[in-house]
Amino acid sequence: MSVQKRNEYDVIVIGAGHNGLTAAALLAKGGRKVVVLEKREFTGGLGACEEFHSGYRTAGVLHDTTGVRHRLINTLDLKRYGFELEKKPPAIFVPQKKGKGLLLHDDPAAAAGEIAAFSKKDVERYWEYRRFIHRVRGVITELLDNVPLDITRIEKRADLWALFKKSRGMRKLARRDAVELLRIGPMSVADWLDDWFETDLLKALLAGPAIHGAFMGPRSPGSAINLLLWECRKGPSIKGGAGFLVTALEGAARDAGVEIRTSAEVSRVVVSGGRVEGALLGKNEHISAPVVAASCHPKQTFLELLAGEMTTEKFERRITHFRSQGTTAKVDLALDARIEMAGRPGERVEFVRTGENLDQLEKAFDAVKYGRCSETPVLDIYMPAFSNPGFAPKGHSVLSILVHYAPYELRSKWSDQERRKLGERVVDTLCEYAPSLRDAVVSCRVQSPVDLEERYRLAGGHIYHGEHALDQLLIRPVPECVGYGSPVPGLFICGSGSHPGGGITCAPGALAAGAILENS
Amino acid sequence: MAKKYDAIIVGGGHNGLVCAAYLARAGRKVLVLERRHVLGGAAATEELYPGFKFSVFSYVVSLFRPHIIRELNLAGHGLEIIPLEASLLPLPDGDSLCRWADPNLTRREIARFSAKDAESYSEFGLAMKKMSFFIKQLIDSPAPDPFSRRPRELLKLLRMGNLMRSVGSDLMYLHTKLLTMSATDFLDMWFESETLKSPMSVSGIIGTFLGVRSPGTAYVLLHHYMGEIDGAYRAWGFSKGGTGQLSRAIASAARRFGAEIRTRTPVEKFLVKRGRCRGVVLEGGEEVRAKQVFSSLDPRRTFLGMVGEKHFDGDFVHSIKRYKLRGSSGKVNLAVDRCPEFTCRPGAGPHLRGDIAIAPSFDYLEKAYDQAKYGDFSERPYLNVVIPSLVDSTVAPPGKHVVSIFVQYAPYHIKEGASFWPKRREAFGDAVVDTLAEYCPTLKESILYRQVLTPLDMEEQLGLTEGNIFQGELSLEQLMFLRPAPGWSRYKTPINNLWMCGSGAHPGGGVMGAPGELAAKTFLGTVGR
Repeated sequence: MSVQKRNEYDVIVIGAGHNGLTAAALLAKGGRKVVVLEKREFTGGLGACEEFHSGYRTAGVLHDTTGVRHRLINTLDLKRYGFELEKKPPAIFVPQKKGKGLLLHDDPAAAAGEIAAFSKKDVERYWEYRRFIHRVRGVITELLDNVPLDITRIEKRADLWALFKKSRGMRKLARRDAVELLRIGPMSVADWLDDWFETDLLKALLAGPAIHGAFMGPRSPGSAINLLLWECRKGPSIKGGAGFLVTALEGAARDAGVEIRTSAEVSRVVVSGGRVEGALLGKNEHISAPVVAASCHPKQTFLELLAGEMTTEKFERRITHFRSQGTTAKVDLALDARIEMAGRPGERVEFVRTGENLDQLEKAFDAVKYGRCSETPVLDIYMPAFSNPGFAPKGHSVLSILVHYAPYELRSKWSDQERRKLGERVVDTLCEYAPSLRDAVVSCRVQSPVDLEERYRLAGGHIYHGEHALDQLLIRPVPECVGYGSPVPGLFICGSGSHPGGGITCAPGALAAGAILENS
Repeated sequence: MAKKYDAIIVGGGHNGLVCAAYLARAGRKVLVLERRHVLGGAAATEELYPGFKFSVFSYVVSLFRPHIIRELNLAGHGLEIIPLEASLLPLPDGDSLCRWADPNLTRREIARFSAKDAESYSEFGLAMKKMSFFIKQLIDSPAPDPFSRRPRELLKLLRMGNLMRSVGSDLMYLHTKLLTMSATDFLDMWFESETLKSPMSVSGIIGTFLGVRSPGTAYVLLHHYMGEIDGAYRAWGFSKGGTGQLSRAIASAARRFGAEIRTRTPVEKFLVKRGRCRGVVLEGGEEVRAKQVFSSLDPRRTFLGMVGEKHFDGDFVHSIKRYKLRGSSGKVNLAVDRCPEFTCRPGAGPHLRGDIAIAPSFDYLEKAYDQAKYGDFSERPYLNVVIPSLVDSTVAPPGKHVVSIFVQYAPYHIKEGASFWPKRREAFGDAVVDTLAEYCPTLKESILYRQVLTPLDMEEQLGLTEGNIFQGELSLEQLMFLRPAPGWSRYKTPINNLWMCGSGAHPGGGVMGAPGELAAKTFLGTVGR
């Protein structure tokens, strides 16, 4: 095979999403010659802020940016590239059909007044809740920010020792907190929040992160852990949204010497002589490197790009059974005005969640079990125009909406008509809380899980590359890949399908880069 | 009259009796107090209609620990278990799937729906068997405490760690999945035919307030493979003469060892002074003193009802209050004048000498659950039907039969409020009979007698809070060292000399006898404290 010199690298990173760029930048800083290959014509993946209607840009498929790992921001010096965090974690608003709704600040002192309108007792409980999160946060983030242990391979005494060391953090906690953590693990978020609070609206608001993106409702056991993880990693959001992160990561990567190629779709991971040898672009452009780090979906990596080479049937079966059936659709609204939430004129509200009680959330979930879209969907909304006027023409605005639930396997099959119907449902739901919205809609783009699969190569259309369920958080995606490696020497994974999972955290990319630098 | 006992056991259910038998065997002077006229609690048999003996609540035996049968010589006291021969799933389209005790027959049956699944079925059984071996180690000893720093506990954890090492990577992977996945997801990893998966999935939801798609339900699938009779795995059976015969055998063993057992003796409260339990007060005011009191009642009734909140610190009360006991199942018992005839397989063949599941699809089961979530009983519920009179002629007159129907979901908290259950009881019974009659058209005209039991009935008759058949949901956060409250899984309680010995203690519900046995042995010091 004739190999051009310029096509030789130390590492190929597949995918220029936030994880791919993170891994690339860190690898380059570690002295590797790195190329990033991105299928789409621009970088950013699920955080890309592309134009979806002339003059209007989306805030990304994912718009929650509160989880970006702080260590990374410093390591890559992202602030040099225009990246900036807000001063404190965002307040979240849940509107009511009748009433002023609840604007919940992270800080219990700031939240007290709002909560007191519903329950005096819950004001005190919210303090307690925040204190609890504060106490356990260190232990949880330590688990999230380090390479996990393969708990299926406790074979040598040394493994047992490693497991013991991992659990040492737990032993540092007060017994009460440690027991509580173990208890929360398998619980449903409804049960857990019922333990804490009595206000329906507050519980519905808090339950959001437990079920967003998941094939779970608030009553599904195992949902509480998602809330806990979210709370523990929550910090201030990025000023202006995920787009600024992507730009900064790209800048840092390029400055470290990374080459980024867009419109470069990898069709094969090339294996030769028992290890990775490079990647094939399209039909015949060969790029060689002894290491390939795939930030795409594990199913894409192992079942399509690798196409069964060097893996066993058992491994493939495990990858196939990695659950990643999407339940989330993305709706971007272009509006010719700025929208205010009813009951909150003139107030700065950036993040909104709908659903006034847990039963409403649960009912929305019921539909997806039978392959239907929720009649009254649960919306997770980002209204970026407040802090980033670059999204829309002056005086106009955009809304970024994650819609729960919309099944990947819609029984009536996804079509333009189904998409339109979903868009209308979203607008109808929203109009109940922001009546001025209806006349302001310029354009409405709907991406179903099937569209997300197609556009971002997300097998199953899951926005987190795979369900955040207890088993898939403990072993992500399969035991063979827990340390970011794979059965094929030289092939690594570095996307949301690996520990600690999806969302805009950059943690998988960063941890994978560390593992690659250590092992190649 | 103030005769002093070494131990009083409150509640004469199977666990209370097992506990009593072990204590008496060790030479302790034991008194069992049972509120009802009949022993056995939820494992009782009663002649509700002349000539028909009903296993009113619990209807099959399998998880009962075999070493208890041996150690107490229950066979010598009249316990005989008749293995189930089949597991039948009638389908709405007139077809059916019957899984037999004989694996070859089963394979052929499954192959009608999927050749691939027929092959995977035995592989699945093998893996489950291996895993249940691991789980058994946990069930047959008190739960280790992961936060203790005592050498003895650490040693125990190390032993568990070594056990994990010996299990091997593939099984550990499966274990992790099994402990956390939903029954449907777990079965999806093995099989393709929903006709096979659907009746298998239901063992994951029995007694829980969860659906087959709820994470955490896969674990209970194992229970189906833990059933053992005489050491033979995967065998479920009827106790000859009804489930009550099991309790009678234990009672007889306990008496033989010298235990005194009183029925129709309701306890009003426990006698607690200065943090120490000194006996009980019977309804009517009589005080009976004892050095130790063992409660086989559920944790909420024990601590908040019988002892009283004021004797505990706030944390403990909080954990008992939030301990989940949501009952979700009901029971319908029928006396019929002929053997029920199923459209899918006419005649009273061997296919009926086992359990019959009405669980035609995942969606059917999930919809049944959805209704319960919002406070209704399922209009089309999951049913598990047995006709013990087909194999045990002692429970019904010749030619006639008893039909026992376990029903899910019947939530304790219906939306009108639990106290409204008596007004909905018959409608619930109708829904059950209508559902079964769809597969068994002659059923309705054959009914001589019908008993409908709602979760409220179970609470009132058996004292099970919220009608929960396991004295507390068997969800992960309420198992092992967390059952019934963190730090109190070793049968001891914050009250000195008061012990727990019922299903609300480790390892939990099901007719296992393990909590009763382990409580007694922990007290006697014959298993690690």
